[in-house]
Amino acid sequence: MKRTLALLLAVMMLATVLVGCGNSSDQQQAAGSEASEASAAERTTFIMGIDPEYPPFSYLGDDGNYTGFDVEICQAVCDYLGWELEVFGVNWDEKLVQLDSFECDCIWSGMTILDSMKEAGYTLSAPYYDNTQVLVVKGDSGFASSADLAGKDVAVQLGTSGEALLNGDLADLAKTFGNVVTCDSFLKCFTELEGGSVDAVFVDMPVAASYVASHEGLNIIDEDLGAEQYGIAFRADDTELCAQVEEAVAALVANGTYAEIASKYPDIVNNLLFLSE
Amino acid sequence: MIVKMSEGLGKTCAIFFLTLLFSLPLGMIVALLRMSKNKIVSAVTRFFITVLRGTPLMLQLLAVTYGPYYLFGAGVARNKLIPVVIAFSINYAAYFAEIYRGGIESIPVGQYEAATVLGYTKFQTFMRIILPQVVKRIMPSVTNEIVTLVKDTSMAFTVSYQEMFTIGKQIANSQTSFMPFLVAGVFYYIFNLIVDRVMGRIEKRLDYYK
Repeated sequence: MKRTLALLLAVMMLATVLVGCGNSSDQQQAAGSEASEASAAERTTFIMGIDPEYPPFSYLGDDGNYTGFDVEICQAVCDYLGWELEVFGVNWDEKLVQLDSFECDCIWSGMTILDSMKEAGYTLSAPYYDNTQVLVVKGDSGFASSADLAGKDVAVQLGTSGEALLNGDLADLAKTFGNVVTCDSFLKCFTELEGGSVDAVFVDMPVAASYVASHEGLNIIDEDLGAEQYGIAFRADDTELCAQVEEAVAALVANGTYAEIASKYPDIVNNLLFLSE
Repeated sequence: MIVKMSEGLGKTCAIFFLTLLFSLPLGMIVALLRMSKNKIVSAVTRFFITVLRGTPLMLQLLAVTYGPYYLFGAGVARNKLIPVVIAFSINYAAYFAEIYRGGIESIPVGQYEAATVLGYTKFQTFMRIILPQVVKRIMPSVTNEIVTLVKDTSMAFTVSYQEMFTIGKQIANSQTSFMPFLVAGVFYYIFNLIVDRVMGRIEKRLDYYK
């Protein structure tokens, strides 16, 4: 009996190994051919890459589906163009790799247009949102400007433009901080702030505004630290796709759908470029 | 890039060595509690082992680091090494405990009987006769766990501990390049190569009966 059992287990282990190998190569092949077909033939589905934890631009709604300003606009674009929308949650600090490997067709999620993306050859849409970076601190901390944070610990989300700024244009400011702590989501940054392990969070203005509005005891330091713009990123050779999406967005702006969706997001409506024109 | 990442390597090593330091002895205590004749003690220990082995290490890391804040409003530790080492040590102690138990239970009952006849106390039997054999038997399994531990240190990223892989990710981001991951891979491989050699040497030294 025991012997049979041992033998059975051994066979199972071997089988798992064999099946495992077979499967993975099949899947890879399938994924590869699917992707090339999609770009060649008429497009029917559009996969939107988002940061699933980035309210109010993109987040998991109470009904279990992704929603947010960017997701709603993209849905309207897809309705307009007759595509089926598929929302794909990317790992924000590897978003461009995931875009390149055809896991999604664009990155559209409150994404800051960075020079490094242009240099790397990605196709970028015209900017649609004016953003600034701000510092969020505890209300009772008494910090009133970035200079007060000398020697203090500041949290920033990995892969965001805030992190890029602290490594680039704002490197001098970053040097005055005690430590720059990188977290893998902005929610963790805020948990660290509220739990007292960091003294400030460096984050995009709309995200800060919506978080501070729903959580007591936090303040935004009134100091714009970096002006930048949001856009949509496509793969280098998808210029046609980018133009199609831009045209659709322009049509939505013209027929008022864009403003209608934007009115649902009071925190960001003032900084939307298409509406202020 | 390599300089920056080696700085992170120091933090990775800190997790690695501190975890081994605490989890190896803790595992022995857990193993003995698990084999206790007291049914309640053994059942409770067993329950904890199932929880620790049955839930992802990443979840345990988050629970240890942020749990106290969410549950009791206590602060989050500024030095992340403390919660990280606690979470790793408890988790690995559970695995080591089961390896130890396997080793201890593999020793034939006849040896205990013989030791009793020869007048050894229970404690002497365990320390002088059983344990030396157990250590030899479990070496390959322990090596397995240690190798896994080297790679698991990268999970400390989820609680914002700035170890080597985290720094690698940061560089990968700012330069939109894949190189740092390659470098990280090489670092882990070399680290494990050393672990493998050291453990191999220890195993050989323990091979005195063959």
